[in-house]
Amino acid sequence: MTAVLEVSNLRKAFGGVVAVDGVSFDVNAGEILGIIGPNGSGKSTMFNCVLGQLQPSAGEVRIDGQVTTGARPCDLNRLGVSRTFQLLQVFPQLSVRDNLILAGQEHQGSMASRLFGRADAGLGEAATRMIEFFRLSHLAEEQAGSLSYGQQKLLDAAMAFMAGPRLVLLDEPAGGVNLTMLGHLRERLQAYHAEHKATFVVIEHQMEFVMALCTRVLVLAEGRIIAEGAPHDIRRNPIVIEAYLGH
Amino acid sequence: MASFIQLLVSGLATGAIYALIAVGFTLLWQTSQTINFAQGEFVMLPAFFILAAMNAGAPFWLACLIGIALSIVILGILFKVIIVDPMLKYGVLPLVISTIALSLFLKESAKDFYSSQAQPFPTLVPATDIHIFDAVVSTQSLAVLAVAILTVTALNILLNKTRLGRQMQATAQNPTLARILGIPVQRMVLYTFLLNAVLVAIASILVSPIYLAKFTNGETLGMAAFIAAIIGGFNQVRGAILGGVILGVLDNLSAAYISSQYRGAFPLIVLIAVILLRPQGLLGRIEERTV
Amino acid sequence: MTRLGTLAVIIAVAVAIAAPFFLKPYGIFLISTWAVLTIAAIGLNLTLGYAGQISLAQGAFVGIGAYTVALLTPLGVPFFVAFFAAGLLCFAVGWGLGYPALRVQHHYLAFVTLAFTTLVFLVLRNEEWLTNGIYGITGTARPTISGWKTSGARDFYFLCLGVLALLSLATWWMLRSPWGRAFVALRENSIRALSLGLDTRRYTLMAFAIGSSLGGLSGALYAPLVQFIEPNSFALGLSFNLLLMVIVGGSGNFFGPFVGALVAVLLPEWLRITQGYYLIIYAAAIMVMMAFCPSGLLGLVERAIRALNGRRADATTSVRAEGAGT
Repeated sequence: MTAVLEVSNLRKAFGGVVAVDGVSFDVNAGEILGIIGPNGSGKSTMFNCVLGQLQPSAGEVRIDGQVTTGARPCDLNRLGVSRTFQLLQVFPQLSVRDNLILAGQEHQGSMASRLFGRADAGLGEAATRMIEFFRLSHLAEEQAGSLSYGQQKLLDAAMAFMAGPRLVLLDEPAGGVNLTMLGHLRERLQAYHAEHKATFVVIEHQMEFVMALCTRVLVLAEGRIIAEGAPHDIRRNPIVIEAYLGH
Repeated sequence: MASFIQLLVSGLATGAIYALIAVGFTLLWQTSQTINFAQGEFVMLPAFFILAAMNAGAPFWLACLIGIALSIVILGILFKVIIVDPMLKYGVLPLVISTIALSLFLKESAKDFYSSQAQPFPTLVPATDIHIFDAVVSTQSLAVLAVAILTVTALNILLNKTRLGRQMQATAQNPTLARILGIPVQRMVLYTFLLNAVLVAIASILVSPIYLAKFTNGETLGMAAFIAAIIGGFNQVRGAILGGVILGVLDNLSAAYISSQYRGAFPLIVLIAVILLRPQGLLGRIEERTV
Repeated sequence: MTRLGTLAVIIAVAVAIAAPFFLKPYGIFLISTWAVLTIAAIGLNLTLGYAGQISLAQGAFVGIGAYTVALLTPLGVPFFVAFFAAGLLCFAVGWGLGYPALRVQHHYLAFVTLAFTTLVFLVLRNEEWLTNGIYGITGTARPTISGWKTSGARDFYFLCLGVLALLSLATWWMLRSPWGRAFVALRENSIRALSLGLDTRRYTLMAFAIGSSLGGLSGALYAPLVQFIEPNSFALGLSFNLLLMVIVGGSGNFFGPFVGALVAVLLPEWLRITQGYYLIIYAAAIMVMMAFCPSGLLGLVERAIRALNGRRADATTSVRAEGAGT
């Protein structure tokens, strides 16, 4: 199996505080890898290092064998890597449809061709299909800012998928979403995964969500990986339980 | 050689003044994300407070104290409460624009309510010349240097050796963490505004005898502050001091050895060079943004 | 655009076309100034309102454009060649300035443009062999286009209006294209935009360069309009003025520059009674506006319309509930 993402000895220190302390793992094509751990264990920091938002203090990141450590997020995106954010990051002033077109437009042609081409960069149909896939059709022309929190989370995921990425990193996609919407979100993620054979890496706190969605789980605590394995094994692992004591 | 020493000393004096202005500017940015475009006008104004006080009959030393006090109230407290605080919720951009408008407002106010003519300003010490190794050095330059060094030393002690100063630094470096540690962040921010008001007032007293009190002083002094801060590294107080001194010395040297018509251009070229070659400045660190 | 908005635009266009027939030469001069400065304001609006960068050099670019035309046309260069040369030159200079300055955060572009404006002023003043220094350049000719002489006040006004219309259309086209969406993304959430593959640095640079070139084109019309240009006209004051125009009109709003330029051109006339205190009043008004309504006059109008519509829409919002697909 080919490794889509390889992280080697990743380390990130902010002054004296070490947030990520020598993390190494591989993600294979088609996997849904879950990353869990108590608050402050360095999960989001690690994501940000992989995705170019932060410069790692040490270590290496490879995408499909290519070294991408410290590459800019927009360059990574063009390599087929996509992400969602922990704090909601849709564009509130644009409509749902425009949000989706925006999410895909930078992959259509060159900057010049986009200036003189169609206003929707040829993504009108693709956007409609994505809207239908996530069952947001009745909200397509609404301003994204007027959607409910759960609906915006769906839009956030949809935007990550617009460019047809091979590797998607989701940062707490279930955070703050109510139970009904949660089931819908998980089901849509699984549907996308099945249809497009994409690789997912998911940071999550909600255990049920992780257990139902992920094929493999990593546990991070204090910046280090303390356990790895199938979801039901991790759940019973005494080291993991101890790390979570109090949560 | 003699003239070089002269230029060096006067350059250090000018540089020390620039350093004071740049430090205040950097502190404001660090603690409250305030890019104060009116910093130059902040230096221009206290001189007029002092002149007005002297016109009302106060002796120079008293007028200076009044000037510093007025500066603290108007350029410190009022500035923070009326302009900065209401604007912060809209983000950095509207605040910058507000300070741009403020610089215009203060400049025109000085011109309209005091005078558009350059006003002579009393020196700290009677202007005589001393001879050091053949070089003629004015006592004024030395006095300016002395006061500036004193101020910077006091500032250093305040920021590094007192509990209050360390709290202010913590607030500047990481407000969220500071709040968690129990530091009264809002009060620390207020203190930086007051500190800036004192620094600009002192700078005003030092620079006005040389430049005369003129409503247009803000333009050059403001520009000097920004360039000094950038040269030193936008987020470093020590960098601001270093940047100010370097700028002052270079400025004076260039005035002597390069055409006077382009005198104002030299600091600007330094700025563009720094931005091109080392944008984080001499002492700054490259910052990152997180989600 | 709403129906009310479209109506307002149609009325405004009609007024703009009819106005010169009812105004004395000074009035026509004022509206020509409005048209020319609006072009510069549109450019600055791109930089500030869409890309979120502060440029204090727009006045300098107007100056570069003005001097380009003033120096080339007496040499026999056709006006529109000089016109495009002005735009191209300012685009290149803008790109050159912006490229290093935009690599850093902290609004460095504001300081670099501030320095640049002063540099341009110094060059214009000192290089007398080229620019005639403080004595300025007089008598830049107004062009003749296919037999139509624009030397008369009214004719030249229509030329300015025509150019304004064309450039506005071009800008509107650009904003409707994927570039426009990219600019909005840049302004609202550049971190998210980056993660979606949007090269924020390049788009910001492009906005600044195009904005600067519009300043140059504005200057190219300014020279034949005022017929006397000198370095002081293009110093920091003009850059401030243009900045305030964009803010007052409503930064990031397509029609903001039109409104802002109108206010800026008419205000000194209205405030003449205050005998030169108008700059203080203007600056104070800006500070007040920033505190209560940073989105400018058009922002105020939008808020008012939303408030009116809000009372009608309140009934319908309760209908929209959660439940996509449940």
